[in-house]
Amino acid sequence: MKRRRGLVVVLVLALLALPLAASAQTVELTLGSWRVDDVAQVQKLLDAFHAKHPNIRIKFTPTNPPDYNAVLRTQLTGGTGPDLMYVRSYKVGQDLYADGFLEPLTELLPILEENYTVGSLEAWSLDGVPFAVPFMAVSHGIYYNVDLFKKHNLEIPQTWEELLAVAEKLKAAGVIPFANGSKDEWDMNEIVFMNLLPNFIGGRDARLEYETGQVPFNDEKMVSAFQALQDLAPYLPVGQEGVSYYDAQQLFLLGRAAMFFGGSWDVAFFVASEPDFEWSVFATPAPEGRPQVVCFHPDAGLGLNAASPHKEAGLAFLKWVTSAEAAQILADEIPGFYPLNVNPIQIQSKHANDFYALSEGKEVDARFVWPVLQAGEPNGYLLTQTAALAVVKGSMTPQEAADYLQEGLEQWFEPAMKFKK
Amino acid sequence: MIHRAKKRWWKEHWFYFTIPALIIYVWFMAFPLLNSMRLSFYTGTGLVPTEFVGLKNYVELFTNPLYKDRLVGALKNTLILFAICMGIQNTLGLMFANMLSGRLRGAAVYRTIIFLPATISVLVTGFLWKLILNPHWGAVNYLLVNLGFDQFYGYPWLGKPETAMIMVGLITAWQWVGIPTMIFLAGLQGISEDLLEAAAIDGASGTQIFWRIKLPLLTPVMGIVSILTFVGNFNAFDIVFAMTNARGAPEYSTDIMGTLFYRVGIAGEHPVAEPNMGIGASIATVIFFILFVGVSLWLISRERAAKNS
Amino acid sequence: MQRIMRIRKFKLVHYLILTIWAFIVLFPVWTMIANSFKKQLDIFRNPFAPPAPLRLDGYIYVLRDSDFLRYCWNTVLIVGITIFLTLLTGSLAAFALANWKGKFSKFLYLFFLAGIMIPIRLGTINIFQIIRGLGLMGSMYSLIPIYVAWGLPIAVFVLTTFIQELPRELMEVAAIDGASRLRIYYSIILPLIRPALGTVAILNLVNIWNDIWFPLIFNLKESHRTLLLGVTYFFGTYQTDWTKVLVVLTLSTVPILTLYILMSRQFIKGLTAGAIKG
Repeated sequence: MKRRRGLVVVLVLALLALPLAASAQTVELTLGSWRVDDVAQVQKLLDAFHAKHPNIRIKFTPTNPPDYNAVLRTQLTGGTGPDLMYVRSYKVGQDLYADGFLEPLTELLPILEENYTVGSLEAWSLDGVPFAVPFMAVSHGIYYNVDLFKKHNLEIPQTWEELLAVAEKLKAAGVIPFANGSKDEWDMNEIVFMNLLPNFIGGRDARLEYETGQVPFNDEKMVSAFQALQDLAPYLPVGQEGVSYYDAQQLFLLGRAAMFFGGSWDVAFFVASEPDFEWSVFATPAPEGRPQVVCFHPDAGLGLNAASPHKEAGLAFLKWVTSAEAAQILADEIPGFYPLNVNPIQIQSKHANDFYALSEGKEVDARFVWPVLQAGEPNGYLLTQTAALAVVKGSMTPQEAADYLQEGLEQWFEPAMKFKK
Repeated sequence: MIHRAKKRWWKEHWFYFTIPALIIYVWFMAFPLLNSMRLSFYTGTGLVPTEFVGLKNYVELFTNPLYKDRLVGALKNTLILFAICMGIQNTLGLMFANMLSGRLRGAAVYRTIIFLPATISVLVTGFLWKLILNPHWGAVNYLLVNLGFDQFYGYPWLGKPETAMIMVGLITAWQWVGIPTMIFLAGLQGISEDLLEAAAIDGASGTQIFWRIKLPLLTPVMGIVSILTFVGNFNAFDIVFAMTNARGAPEYSTDIMGTLFYRVGIAGEHPVAEPNMGIGASIATVIFFILFVGVSLWLISRERAAKNS
Repeated sequence: MQRIMRIRKFKLVHYLILTIWAFIVLFPVWTMIANSFKKQLDIFRNPFAPPAPLRLDGYIYVLRDSDFLRYCWNTVLIVGITIFLTLLTGSLAAFALANWKGKFSKFLYLFFLAGIMIPIRLGTINIFQIIRGLGLMGSMYSLIPIYVAWGLPIAVFVLTTFIQELPRELMEVAAIDGASRLRIYYSIILPLIRPALGTVAILNLVNIWNDIWFPLIFNLKESHRTLLLGVTYFFGTYQTDWTKVLVVLTLSTVPILTLYILMSRQFIKGLTAGAIKG
């Protein structure tokens, strides 16, 4: 008798619990990334989404950058990758998609086309199919020490020639003009070379000329870009081969170097470091007669794991990311990373705003080798890197560097093969 | 005795003793590794290539300049590392062990200090030494310039291909010297005290005792240390990763076999990061082959020595 | 008299060399500790000067707000279990291989040795799938079988060599007295190879301590992370909080140094026991 009563009690409780269980069904997703720098800030973004969708919770689980690609691949291959992930633009993302790890986002296409430019979308699409939502972009420029400039009566250079003149004056006064070095190879390649490159060859349309085989990669414009790099060499720190990216940041923050080729991502770090001088940023100047082009690079998109068990929830999140609200939160929380949303946004951080304003009225383009030049071997990125490092070191002339680039690309890149000697 | 052994052989055959180790080893290491070495005969994108191509990967590895140059470079750099580790790390280890085995006050303290760097994570070793070798605020250049060597002002030790690998080697030696010290100490303890005392009474100096008595008796231990160093260097990876990068910057001068394998087979090149596991697996097989030959040669020579004695 | 003088001079040289080396070791270590008390910019302003002002922010954050202590404990636990298992199974195998004559024994020895000849990351995907199959993904216990398997080749290598160096008479006497092989193993062999056991333990300790690859790919859940894995989260893409990194790394030398001291005690006991004499 007692037992039967006990059973009834259990059954009643279970029945009562059912509706509770149904509503308490929170789905948990993970978001993977290489950015361990802004865990708290991204979590705020995710919490805002959670407020709108109380039964979906997303956890930000980034991975240490140097190992990110290898780890991500291993996890995806093994089937334990995150549900959502940051996707690098162009080839890297396209590879992941082509290997079947990312879910095609065709159903979001209309909303994507509404909120993003063609240029942004093509960074995360393959053959017209989007595989990630454009999330954030970064800008490139030159940071400068306002106090030091004032002290030495220097104006913000408007042309490349003026920039070199400013560097010369600084050097004569015993100040390191530019803080960047070659120890972190990508520093010289991405942050310095590809930063100034569009000023010498042009923006997107000009880049397409190279990519469609209208001009060879060692034409005089490219040579002039390498020449500009060589012109910078005397104004880099002593022993620049041993100066890493972190070192360069420190040289600038300690006031020992007056200028620093950098990106908008440095804003947060510089602000937090509280240097004891006033600093700001100016757009990398173009040589006399050429228009200034800013390197505004689509950096990260958000993609959905093709093997995720929570696709519905994931898509809901991606949809929300395209909204103006999400874009605004991103701009507020992670200064220096700009949403690619076409809707206007207010940037609160003064420095981030200044950086963003640099692109106003100017043409912008992504980093030169990113869109198509990484699809074969030897990889365009490696070619420009080797060439840039050699030019700075003095072991290659600008002409040789441009030739090196052309000869490397013509081994596999069809449009370049036309110019094979 | 043989009689007894035979009676109990079914209960106590030596093989049984190896079973627990074998199970874990085969399940979690031998099988996965052999399975992955098999991948060297396949090609394809991603970490598990699926297209069978026979020996093509090996041919690529040895003929295509894109890979061949890197392989040869990595071999060369690994041998440089090995030379530094043998010549400096292990020699110092032997010397320290010899010093510490005699009656020395504070031996325990010195022993711990010598071993201390090995307890420091490779990540921080990289950071600390990058700081010390920094062209701008590094202690090394500061010292050298103050001693009058002005040419070292701002010298980028880790940025020049000529000095980078040597520096990495020296720092590796600094970090791991505690291990050969420890192993040699263990070996020295096996030498009978009476033997050493007798020699001392006979008038032999410390140096003579070392070269004529200790060293020959330490041969098997030297073998262990050399093999561990040899194998360790060919698989080493972390220290280069911490001090320069996975590409063996500058100009591949610090690229060793371990980093080559990781870069080609697992991580891929920044920023594309598409690994080529087919070629990566063949690099790993090459490493295996080199080490196998080296270790086998040592084993054979040991056996010959054992037969002779 | 002359000999005593010679010995004294000898010892003086020894002290000198050891002290110079101590300086070469302690200088970077001092740098690490001193800088953990500085604000980030101060680190690069004066990397080798003592901290002024001394800031404890880093320590407060790490000890109070981060999971450092938990990660520390995780690592110590994993290390302890792994080393115990490695030494146990490894010494049993080494005991067998050292005494067992024959082709198959040689084959097994080489088979074990082969494990250190291949970069272990090659087997990543396969190992990954095995761990997943066992349902251990995300748990720190997934690391144990891997680390034991990784440590066995060296254990077998070093221990076999040491056991082979022991005089045969010891074993033969015991066998005549009727001792089983197992008995010989734990009452005679094990105590004698203490220094070798200590060596293998320390080698494994250092290997496991420095590994972040497997904790990374096994997707360890937050509460199961190992120490070094936790540290890497302080290294950002374009910026790194060096103060926090140095604090964590300074603090993390404490447990590993403690473990080393514990293991080397075994090592030293073996050194001074010296049953081989006579």
